[in-house]
Amino acid sequence: MGMATTTGPLLVLAVVVPVIGMLALLVMPFLGIRRPATVALAVVAVGVAIASAIGIDLVRSKEAIVYVVGGWAPPLGLQLRADGLSGVMMAMAALVIAAVALYARPQFDMAEDAPGGRRAFAFWSLLMGLWSALNLVFLGEDLFNLFVALELLTFAAVPLVCLDGKAETIEAALRYLVFALIGSALYLLGTAILYGQYGTLDIGTLHGRASANLATHAAIALMIGGLMAKAALFPLHLWLPPAHAGAPAPASAVLSALVVKAPFFIILRLWFDVLPEPPSEAAARVLALLGAAAILVCSVVALRQRRLKLMIAYSTVAQIGYLFLMFILIEPGVAPWTTIGWTGGMLQLISHALAKAAMFLAAGLIAEALGHDRIADLAGAGRTVPVSVFAFGLAGLSLMGLPPSGGFIAKLLLLNAAILSGAWWVAIVISVGGLLAAAYVARVLKRAMAAPATAIETRAVAREREWPALGLALCAVALGFVPLQPLDMLAIGRGALP
Amino acid sequence: MTPAGALLAAALATPLAFVALCLLPGFRRRVFDLLPLAPLPALVAAVAAPGGSLLLAPAPMRLVLALDEPGAMLLGGAALLWAAAGLYARTYMATDPTRIGFAVWWLLTLAGSLGVFIVADMTSFYLMFSLVSLAAYGLVAHEGTPRAESASLIYMALAVLGEAFLLLGFVLLATAGPTGNPLIADAVASLPASPWRDATLALLILGFGLKMGLVPLHVWMPLAHPVAPMPASAVLSGIIVKAGVIGLVRFLPFDQPAADWGTALIVLGLFTAYYGVAIGITQSHPKTVLAYSTVSQMGLVAAIIGAGLELGAAGVSRLAAYYALHHMLVKGALFMGVGVMAATGARHRTLALGVMAVMALSLAGLPLTSGALAKYAAKGPLGDGLAGTLAALSAAGSALLMLHFLRLVAKTAPVRADAVAGWGLRAPWLATAAASLFAGWMLFAPAIGYAPASALAPAALWDATWPLLLGGLLAFGLARSGIGLPKIPEGDVAALAMCALPAVRRIGDGAERLDAALRRWPVAGLALMAIVLILGATLGTAR
Repeated sequence: MGMATTTGPLLVLAVVVPVIGMLALLVMPFLGIRRPATVALAVVAVGVAIASAIGIDLVRSKEAIVYVVGGWAPPLGLQLRADGLSGVMMAMAALVIAAVALYARPQFDMAEDAPGGRRAFAFWSLLMGLWSALNLVFLGEDLFNLFVALELLTFAAVPLVCLDGKAETIEAALRYLVFALIGSALYLLGTAILYGQYGTLDIGTLHGRASANLATHAAIALMIGGLMAKAALFPLHLWLPPAHAGAPAPASAVLSALVVKAPFFIILRLWFDVLPEPPSEAAARVLALLGAAAILVCSVVALRQRRLKLMIAYSTVAQIGYLFLMFILIEPGVAPWTTIGWTGGMLQLISHALAKAAMFLAAGLIAEALGHDRIADLAGAGRTVPVSVFAFGLAGLSLMGLPPSGGFIAKLLLLNAAILSGAWWVAIVISVGGLLAAAYVARVLKRAMAAPATAIETRAVAREREWPALGLALCAVALGFVPLQPLDMLAIGRGALP
Repeated sequence: MTPAGALLAAALATPLAFVALCLLPGFRRRVFDLLPLAPLPALVAAVAAPGGSLLLAPAPMRLVLALDEPGAMLLGGAALLWAAAGLYARTYMATDPTRIGFAVWWLLTLAGSLGVFIVADMTSFYLMFSLVSLAAYGLVAHEGTPRAESASLIYMALAVLGEAFLLLGFVLLATAGPTGNPLIADAVASLPASPWRDATLALLILGFGLKMGLVPLHVWMPLAHPVAPMPASAVLSGIIVKAGVIGLVRFLPFDQPAADWGTALIVLGLFTAYYGVAIGITQSHPKTVLAYSTVSQMGLVAAIIGAGLELGAAGVSRLAAYYALHHMLVKGALFMGVGVMAATGARHRTLALGVMAVMALSLAGLPLTSGALAKYAAKGPLGDGLAGTLAALSAAGSALLMLHFLRLVAKTAPVRADAVAGWGLRAPWLATAAASLFAGWMLFAPAIGYAPASALAPAALWDATWPLLLGGLLAFGLARSGIGLPKIPEGDVAALAMCALPAVRRIGDGAERLDAALRRWPVAGLALMAIVLILGATLGTAR
């Protein structure tokens, strides 16, 4: 069983600090602070510091960080645990949330009694809640604990979709809520079966105890199915395009970059940490087939969209498909985290998060400058918001998988793994997906760089509001300098899983 | 860092630094006039640094610059042509309102095109190759006309397709060979024993062949080269296509004979050589004819490389580079010359036309020109058999095509009779033409290993002359016979491919309909249940 490590309290802070932020937003008027963004940015700074401290400690100690809640070790109590993988996920989340917060500050900086003040308050509270939930997903070791984290995440994410209160975004939010609830129900059913079977929901305990029988398989299938619905894996993506396209740009960025990754992260944990080894190849093929279908169908659909934000949303559904290719690319018999397939999949997850957040942020400013986001009429965007169009292009580089970018390294590693495991069709799907991504990104860039045929009315956007998107896109590019081999960081603490 | 290594780094860093400096308004205003300076460090490096190398980042990143002999030849020629074309552009595009944007694309393409000649590891090569491929889009699309739009679109689509071929090929190469980011040479050494040897070679030839314009992946060339501004056409046709040549030279395993793939490449190359001529003579724009001539000439280079692959002769890489260098400078001079001719009045045309004739016929192997030397050298690997004879005969085709070109270019004189092209156009043009002769003779002995005098022997001179006579005879006969050549659209088979557009659109419609159907509640609910059931069933099956 995991012994608490000395830096364990950092994990608690990572979950609790955003919650403290939420409370601070509530009591803010009594402290004489009028602007919610001030409080939120202070919390973000602390949160980034905590995520950095966890990352540094992981690199330094080369061991997982463990915190045993209340001193009760599992299976009786709860524990929080950060291994290399969680550390990287938390760093990614902190980076995206920091950029989004900087971006959103001018947009949501009004005092509560000013027009739009309620909305600003709601945005920051929800962002804080969402961050806490994300960190809990990345740190949780107990399947019920993870369920709570997922619910918290959903309830923070859904209102973000309909922040503007328009009828169509409320409808999109409801769609999202109902489908996410169905997913939750399936997940909960699965946990109930596992608990009935093994008397524990602690992942570390289940890892040794779960055996290959009907109950286990039924439970895992229910849970993975439910999580797929929440991750919007094709063909369960009905809720994602309207929700992600309808939300305000900073919310879309968080939803597309981070929120859909949380259920995927739990699928990974179920697959590699709970399922008795070796996982069935047929099931891995089912996941990979759905992923491939997502890439092919949704990339084509993205290419046909007329609205920029819808195009980006469909691109998200396509890019989620790449993550599900991973399961078939990891050869059995070796520790998965030492394979290039694992590193490739994780790099895909992270570089997509950075690139997609950058894209949504840039798209938000493009829409603000032009007053619309119709792709056909984007001409002139390159002159009005040049930095945003440039950031969009850089982020696009990563989606297309062109060097230098994290997406390129990810694609290279996944291709490499596909060939090593003899899955030629996967290699072809990855290549075709790259071509389609190039087409849908180039289509937007071409229009945006063109000179408008007639004089168009544009609204000036302060230059500094364009930096966060550029910063994220540059981070996605910088990931392109990760060496082409299994990443040590991702393996920290994995081998020592109890 | 050795001085040679520093020079290589400077060759690559200078154009990129120019791009970065464009963030400063003061530099940005002047950047267009500074274009000729950007390739100069590369020119110095090509002369002073052969054999030099520089480790930019140690393993596992392993970013390495290195300059071997073929690389040095191509680097020097490319740097020279970039400088001349940059000088030419200063006059040619002096009043173009969007020339600053053009300069940025120019510099990026320049950096990539020089980069492919000097990087030695696989990832950097892919990076440089992508840079030159994608940035050249800006040169093709610059004019902004509907023709330029559709040409640049096709260019982009094919460039990205080529990237996909290469990426898959590189991954196969790297998977079979050393892990991480190997040196190109190390990865290629493992290719003959690779379980995916054939697939790798096919993908590499597809990817690099597309850049060289091998049939049927040549369609972008006759579309893209004519629509670009003149100096951009010169570098596109002269330099950018050589990224494909250096790719084949670097990535094909010449150490061991590979008869199957060598023969395939010879057949493909020779077919392309004749195909380019056959379509080229039906064209009525001088620049389009030149583009088809590039297709034809690159076919010949592919055949030379194929012959080297068949024999397992590593020396062929120097030879291919020598031939490519000849084509680079001559074709650059020809494109610049088209602009000079268009600005020269009837009274001053004779001399200009004379220079153009020497350059044009150099492509067909006119004695004493670099073309004669290159073709003489190519006889070695191609031999005296069928391939050698067909290659020699293709020179007659080139002569026919170039005479057609000369006739077209002689006709373009809409300006006043006493008009003279400015020195801003004439100087770079003449310098490039002179450089083609100079470089041809200077490098003949070191690159090929023959004494220059051997190319002046009567037999060699006759070998160079008869295809010209035959070509002239063909041209004369064709003009006399009055056979009307069919009007084939630029980009020939691309026009056929356009017929497939409705089918492509149907795929898009189908995907949209499928998406709409799947996003209905009952369907999604059913899908969720089905997925859970299938997952449950498959989880139970053994691995």
